Amino acid sequence: MTRKPAAVILSRGDREGSQTTQPVAQAMVLRIRRSFAALRRLRMTGLCRASLGSLVILVLACGLAAQPDAGVPDAKQVVGAPLEAPLTGDALLLRTQEVAAAIRCPVCQGLSIADSPSEMAINMKSQVRDLLARGYTREQIETYFERSYGQFVLLRPKFEGVNVLVWILPIAALLAGVLVVANLLRRFQTMPEAPAMREREEADSQSDSPYLARVRRMVEEAKP
Amino acid sequence: MSKPVNRTVLAVGAAIAAALLGVLSMGLGQDPQRIDSPLVGKPAPEFTLRTVSGGNAFGPAKFRGKPVVVNFWATWCRPCWDEHPTLTQAARTLGDRVQFIGVVFQDEESKIQSFLEQRGAGYPTVVDERGKTAIAYGVGGIPETFFLDATGRIVAKHDGPLSPEQLNEYVTKAMNP
Repeated sequence: MTRKPAAVILSRGDREGSQTTQPVAQAMVLRIRRSFAALRRLRMTGLCRASLGSLVILVLACGLAAQPDAGVPDAKQVVGAPLEAPLTGDALLLRTQEVAAAIRCPVCQGLSIADSPSEMAINMKSQVRDLLARGYTREQIETYFERSYGQFVLLRPKFEGVNVLVWILPIAALLAGVLVVANLLRRFQTMPEAPAMREREEADSQSDSPYLARVRRMVEEAKP
Repeated sequence: MSKPVNRTVLAVGAAIAAALLGVLSMGLGQDPQRIDSPLVGKPAPEFTLRTVSGGNAFGPAKFRGKPVVVNFWATWCRPCWDEHPTLTQAARTLGDRVQFIGVVFQDEESKIQSFLEQRGAGYPTVVDERGKTAIAYGVGGIPETFFLDATGRIVAKHDGPLSPEQLNEYVTKAMNP
């Protein structure tokens, strides 16, 4: 099976990114500007121009409302109706980044669709944005991609089946480590003095070395 | 004098190590690039896409009542070149009994047209705008081929180039699910 070489992915992403990721709203603004430019070219009274302008905005807005499914046509079939309020502006961008960061890019090595520059990741991220703009929740979006790719597409495995081990094992290993360290510390604290050390101290005390006797005397004298 | 072994610590350590080894060994022998499709056994995602040659838009639903082979490919994919004669030959041999559809994956129409002109087009090829259909089918690399039965259910998915024997096997499965 072939995956597109990174260089190709990058060059295509750079070349086509602006076209493939252009938001619908941006395109709509462009259309409105063009329509107004055309109106300016016509010789009309102010009132007539304002009425016609309003009509253009209304028609284009209807067009925008009629194409919310353009990005992800089968979302409603797969995950049902949106469960949250639609997002817009900065909230939409932030949430898109957050949700995309948890979805794996299927043509990359361990990258999320938020981090990958591949065309596939750009398209998937665009779908995430479309779905959030329509009010779909993070869970619904993850379920949508899971339908096609399975749990492989989720960078954060679900707490079910064998995946439970992935969540539990690190915690169990950490707890086991804490228990071992606590056990070792307790042992060190209750450990009797080493016999070799005690024997040497006794031997020193019985020694008739004049040097040692002098040191002991000085220590005794220094005691308060 | 050796210290007595703390059996509880040993047992806990062994249990954790065994569980970890168990999880890791599950991945041994598996191709990390391979994605098992959860769509096998389920109805194929619908799509209606226009053809490269500018013909009317269509999708697998148009061919209900006979098996459909959906092949994702591109001209920049060398293995796709290798399997192209296999697919075109099979499409000619099977005729009306099985419908083949090529779905272009991240490629330019001009390159596709030139490729088909040079190497022959045995079946319609459609353009997947913004990769919507590839994402709906869970494509993770190409070539990837899906085999739909007469009811539109996916009966098999193949990753990589198809040999004539493999193609024959999958088509038989799609014809007799």
